Amino acid sequence: MGVSTLIFFLVKGLEISAPIAFAALGAVFSERSGVVNIALEGIMIVTSFTIVWASMAFHSIWMGLFFAIVAGALVALIHAVVTITFKVDQIVSGVAINIFAFGLARFLSQKVFGQETQTPTNPYLFPQVLGINSVALWLIPIALIAWFVLYRTVFGLRLRTVGENPEAGDTLGLNVYALRYAGVVISGALCGLSAATLFPSQWISGMTAGRGYIALAAMIFGRWDPIGAVLASLLFGYADTFRIMFETKIPIPGQFVQMFPYILAVVVLAGMVGKARAPAADGKPYEKGEG
Amino acid sequence: MSAVKVKFDKYRFLELLSPVLGFLASIVVLMIIVVAVGESPVKALVAIYKFSLSSSAKIATIFSMSIPLFFAGIAVAFAFQAGVFNIGVEGQYFFGGLVGALAGIYFHLPPLIHIPVVVLFSMLGGALWALIPAILKVTKNVHEVISTIMFNSIALALVNYLVNDPLSGLGKGKSLEPQTAKIQSTALFHKINHVFSYIGWKIPDYVYLDYSLIVAIIMGFIVWFVLFRMRYGFEIRAVGTSLDVAGYAGMKVKNLQLAAFLISGALGGLIGLQEIFAIRGYYTYGIASGLGFDGIAIALIGKNSPLGVVFASILFAFLKQAGYGLQFYTAVPNSAIYVIKGLMILFIVVINEITAKYIRALRKKEAF
Repeated sequence: MGVSTLIFFLVKGLEISAPIAFAALGAVFSERSGVVNIALEGIMIVTSFTIVWASMAFHSIWMGLFFAIVAGALVALIHAVVTITFKVDQIVSGVAINIFAFGLARFLSQKVFGQETQTPTNPYLFPQVLGINSVALWLIPIALIAWFVLYRTVFGLRLRTVGENPEAGDTLGLNVYALRYAGVVISGALCGLSAATLFPSQWISGMTAGRGYIALAAMIFGRWDPIGAVLASLLFGYADTFRIMFETKIPIPGQFVQMFPYILAVVVLAGMVGKARAPAADGKPYEKGEG
Repeated sequence: MSAVKVKFDKYRFLELLSPVLGFLASIVVLMIIVVAVGESPVKALVAIYKFSLSSSAKIATIFSMSIPLFFAGIAVAFAFQAGVFNIGVEGQYFFGGLVGALAGIYFHLPPLIHIPVVVLFSMLGGALWALIPAILKVTKNVHEVISTIMFNSIALALVNYLVNDPLSGLGKGKSLEPQTAKIQSTALFHKINHVFSYIGWKIPDYVYLDYSLIVAIIMGFIVWFVLFRMRYGFEIRAVGTSLDVAGYAGMKVKNLQLAAFLISGALGGLIGLQEIFAIRGYYTYGIASGLGFDGIAIALIGKNSPLGVVFASILFAFLKQAGYGLQFYTAVPNSAIYVIKGLMILFIVVINEITAKYIRALRKKEAF
């Protein structure tokens, strides 16, 4: 492998990791506030459609990005209303939203572009840096900002409090519901950035290929920590980059190569036993005391 | 005594209300979508009626389509009863169906034995595909939702490889869809349409009411019996209601969850029976996908009970047909039905929470 191949691998890996990493950062915010968000997959489906649609409608990828972030936040808002206000099982809500999102993107694609499974090519793209989508480079500052917000701001402290011990937070006068809404909506908005780095040039049904779920695995492997989640996402992203770059040179059937990220996710999770602890109130709806 | 009975029925009624209201609410949304794409709701309803309900053959088609959906629903429901969220039914039936098909291709047995054997092998395959996530759940605390989703993707890639290469039944150079060799005639599921003519129901030959219907009835009964008439089923339901309480009561919580997970996988393995053994007569990775996810909705709508799952699977088969009807006769694409399915789950669980809260308040009031 030449030096140029190596550099290309390192840079390309960042681009391929970015969609997973942004979603994993989102998952951190949602779960640290106490809400499991497996709707990330569906949210990513909607945002990846929206970015193409809005870019073409407004002739600007930046408008596309804006609307993708808004769309992600809105779909996440459904999850928030259902799980926080109505206290429905968070996994059930996530599964339902994923089915809904799958249909919604296809429905809109059919109605807007006359094709159910893919859109035309979007000519409005982000500037390239080092041969990759420049938004992928935002990952580094955004991960640092996420870390700062979570550990060095009052908001972050409060968010973590309602994820660990909502009763205590409530007693201290924190608005548990509002903070959890914020956590979930942030996770949806970050999926807008996932869409920006996944494949903003076209939407194809099935293109997210489980990245929302992989992001959850990455978040767990990263121990519910922003930096950890991003590093774990890089593991998945670079593994995938390796697969893409060398698929034809590996003497094993392509299907086994395709399985690799999923097997990696299972192995990583199995190896995590006893090494990480979810926020204490993660996944548990909070019911304000009824006098 | 009779007063208590009446009150009990009132709660039961309230509990059953959520699926009905959830269904109605999603039909309202569907009509809003219909109007939004510029069609009239009347035209849409007529389209749905014409496509899915306008003849006894069409109604029979709905029953036929509900068979695999029933297996999907009962598989998810069984795991739910033990507090296990088996999102892996999708992968379990792709793998289970292949294992069953292999038993149908390579075993040489008389029909009376061969057919139960392929059913058992399909179940075995489904259970096998649930095994690793089940073990990881009980021994390493790996949440089954993520592990089974990963196993779904792994299963799809694996059967794709197997059918394309080592198990391909196609000669070189054939350009057909990749598939296994043909299943022995002794293992094929025949239609039982003629049985219904005894009750005066003429079902045309293109509708598949086959042996898988019999398997579904038997399995539904067994599941009901195990869950509601056996101690084992009681323990499984106890685990699903409260892990802690079941543990304090001395139940082997982990073993019960492991068993329920595997049984769920085994039931899921039956989803492909109709398509593989009655319709196609061979296995391909191109069998209908997404039924595992339908199973989640069906289990929720059916409240995890076998009888509830029967109704919910018929309802879902109807929805599928309704989607095709809309696509065929109106400008509403079939994908609208996915939107509706997702929303229906949300409506049902939300209304469920509201009625549960209302019931709690009612009970509190009555207690004083």
